[in-house]
Amino acid sequence: MIILTLTRTFKAGFQNFFRNGSLTVAAVSILTLALLIISVILVISISANMGLKYVQDKIDIRVYFKSDVAEQDVMSFRSEVQKYKEVKAAEYISKNKALDDFKAANAGKPDILKAVEAVEENPLLASVNIKAANPEQYDVIAKSIENSSYRNDIASINYQQYKLVIDRFNSTIKTIRKTGAFLFILFSLIAILITFNVIRMTIFNHGTEIEIMRLVGASNNFIRLPFVFEGVIYGIFAAVISIILLFPIMKIVTPYVVGSAYIQIIQTDFTRYFVLIFLAQLVVGVLLGIVSSILAIRRYLKV
Amino acid sequence: MIEFKNVKKIYTGGIMNTIALDDVSFLIEEKEFVSFVGHSGAGKSTILKLIYAEEKPTSGEVLFNGEDIANIKPKDMPLHRRRIGTVFQDFKLLQKKTVFENVAFALEVSGYPNSEIQKSVPQIIEIVGLSNKAENYPHEISGGEKQRVAIARALVHRPALIIADEPTGNLDPISAWGIIQLLLKINKLGTTVILATHDKEVVNNIKRRVITLDQGRIIRDHSKGRYAI
Repeated sequence: MIILTLTRTFKAGFQNFFRNGSLTVAAVSILTLALLIISVILVISISANMGLKYVQDKIDIRVYFKSDVAEQDVMSFRSEVQKYKEVKAAEYISKNKALDDFKAANAGKPDILKAVEAVEENPLLASVNIKAANPEQYDVIAKSIENSSYRNDIASINYQQYKLVIDRFNSTIKTIRKTGAFLFILFSLIAILITFNVIRMTIFNHGTEIEIMRLVGASNNFIRLPFVFEGVIYGIFAAVISIILLFPIMKIVTPYVVGSAYIQIIQTDFTRYFVLIFLAQLVVGVLLGIVSSILAIRRYLKV
Repeated sequence: MIEFKNVKKIYTGGIMNTIALDDVSFLIEEKEFVSFVGHSGAGKSTILKLIYAEEKPTSGEVLFNGEDIANIKPKDMPLHRRRIGTVFQDFKLLQKKTVFENVAFALEVSGYPNSEIQKSVPQIIEIVGLSNKAENYPHEISGGEKQRVAIARALVHRPALIIADEPTGNLDPISAWGIIQLLLKINKLGTTVILATHDKEVVNNIKRRVITLDQGRIIRDHSKGRYAI
């Protein structure tokens, strides 16, 4: 009985989908548009997030120690800093390591290398490289280091020059998240309203059929399910079309959002996200179809 | 089988409320053939709608086999509708389906297995005399034949009651009489028939019980009635 109901109503929904012609085209294209807008917003916020995360990873606080401070003091500073709950990682960079890094960074510049070798003693300072768990916490970390017992050993805290950049990125992330969430909700509502109306039109087109079904004693599921299946098929078609369209759109849109510098990194990450976005579209599209059709059919099922 | 107890039906809305039925009571026994007659707006269709639960009474009770129809749960309403076959003036056939498919539709949407459909539908089509038109579409057959298809569809659940609301309204006198004879035949086979009509010829020829309505009230109820208003 259940299988019979499902196969018959699925068949009816499938037939509706292909026989409705222009109405089907209208429904699928509007649903596609809605999904596309939602996914473009998703892509923008994902790529912005990835870009920001990339920049955030570059941000740190570097605490330089005076050259006469013993290595074990620096190490004990490091282990104390690691106990701060705001700190994600603290890396010790010795004088020698700093020199090696400097040489590596200037490998192609013999003048500079010569100048460094000319100085007998290593001119670079030992430092501790601190990364915060959250970019907003650099301020707090810097303040507590300034007030710690080690403040007399510290030559400089290389933080102030980053402060402006960090602040700017923090406010950018917040704006993107806020507007993204707002647009996401707005377009979801628009999509529901439009699909609801299109399915209501198809149902209206089937007025006589529904009336007859009621009169001959069709169960409510038999009346409802064909339209629900029709909504499901709308959702599937719309998801497939919009994922196909999304690829070129993303290629055009992303550089404007994150700036061309990070494009390479982001695009390699994106193939992973595409499966996720497609699944999200499928789920959202099918849900929109189902919810809209159930809402639209409700008043026809009154007794 | 059907009993109306002091039924009142008021349609609200518009400038004034319309009193469609005013304190109507009657009893229809099993296997009866009852005609409701009266002018348009006398309340014939309202009585029928109350029986197949398209409308609810404003006050009073409508009993079907002793059970108040108002107490039927929405979930069980399809089962109630399967006890009643309905036939209308405008046939209500699906234009894109053949005669066979139109009749089979009633069984399909009620969840009957295909084997049952293949067995029952030809039998019913035979009863209404359309075996040679089973594969035709509604636009290919005459008005009288369309109404026979509608009757076949109404019969396919083997209901205890057939309700016919102006079934001859769109037909010429000869086709109309054919439909009435078909209803009489169905009645003879044991199905209760309730007919609403304002066709004087038809009523006078049936010579069965006639209930006459005027402005929502029963003004006459004769067991071998004639059309007289």
